[in-house]
Amino acid sequence: MVRGRSLPSCGALTSYIESVGQTWRRVLAVGLAFVVAITFTLVFAFRAGRRARHMRGENEPIQEWMSVPFIAHSHHVPPSTLFQAIGVQPRQPRDRRSVRRIASDLHRPTPEVMAKLQRALDEAAHPPPRP
Amino acid sequence: MNNQILAAVSEYGTPALFGIVTIAAVGVPLPITLLLVVVGSMVSQGAVNLWWAIGAAGAGSILGDQAGYAIGRWGGPAAIARLSAVFGKHAGLEAMEAKAKAWGGPGIYITRWLLSPLGPWINLASGTARYPWHRFLLWDALGELTAAVVFISLGRFFSDRVTALGAVLGDLTWAIAALLAAIVLGYQLLAYVRRARAR
Repeated sequence: MVRGRSLPSCGALTSYIESVGQTWRRVLAVGLAFVVAITFTLVFAFRAGRRARHMRGENEPIQEWMSVPFIAHSHHVPPSTLFQAIGVQPRQPRDRRSVRRIASDLHRPTPEVMAKLQRALDEAAHPPPRP
Repeated sequence: MNNQILAAVSEYGTPALFGIVTIAAVGVPLPITLLLVVVGSMVSQGAVNLWWAIGAAGAGSILGDQAGYAIGRWGGPAAIARLSAVFGKHAGLEAMEAKAKAWGGPGIYITRWLLSPLGPWINLASGTARYPWHRFLLWDALGELTAAVVFISLGRFFSDRVTALGAVLGDLTWAIAALLAAIVLGYQLLAYVRRARAR
């Protein structure tokens, strides 16, 4: 009797099918993860590029951690203008207090001090016409 | 949290910078890239000395990284599990350990500045994988000084646009991390396809 390649037994066939199934499931999972990674790369690269393009034209928003000299530097305004706007005598040689600390020292809400600073910046950028 | 940290550096300068970067290097997620950029802007305004800033940022980060390495090496699995639970990250440390072994020095260097979110986990993994300490220290110091010089210099150059720059750098870090993941996954996918064809 001529014997060809022996057929796998029922158990071996089942485990073979299972292993093939597992491999393809793994390939599918890795493939999906690959697509997600590529998508993330493109999205973040696009966002970074768009932000970088707009960086020059946008004004730095005032934040509560910033000191008054820091805000003045970011907006190219003399610090004395901003200190005057919020009615604070700056400490010497350099007043490093954050807006939040200044607001706390003045017993005023932080958003109110930030709004005053913003108004002063707007006025410095667009001074009102002289009568 | 970010506001308090940035305000602390703005008010107290380099001692605050040193303390914050040390804590971040151990694994507490803090916005260190933005912080260094802000310090760069403060340098350009004359509020902080450049060399003191680079020194404080570099020394603090190296100290924190060494603490992470020591926990990984001598703290044992219990300490690592506790640290992971405290910081809410159960990221596969075994996978990181394998990466630490595979990437070696360049991996340590890159995760100090280009892929900084992975830094604390590479520290722990390098310790548990018993990566030689003197080599870890060398690559760590090189990477942390690169981070300090690069981000503080960027902050000096774009001193009036620091928050926008911080956002750009944050996006770029994630883009690079995703790109590296895509490369690794693509390589795996290719290996599967080749193996399937060979059968």
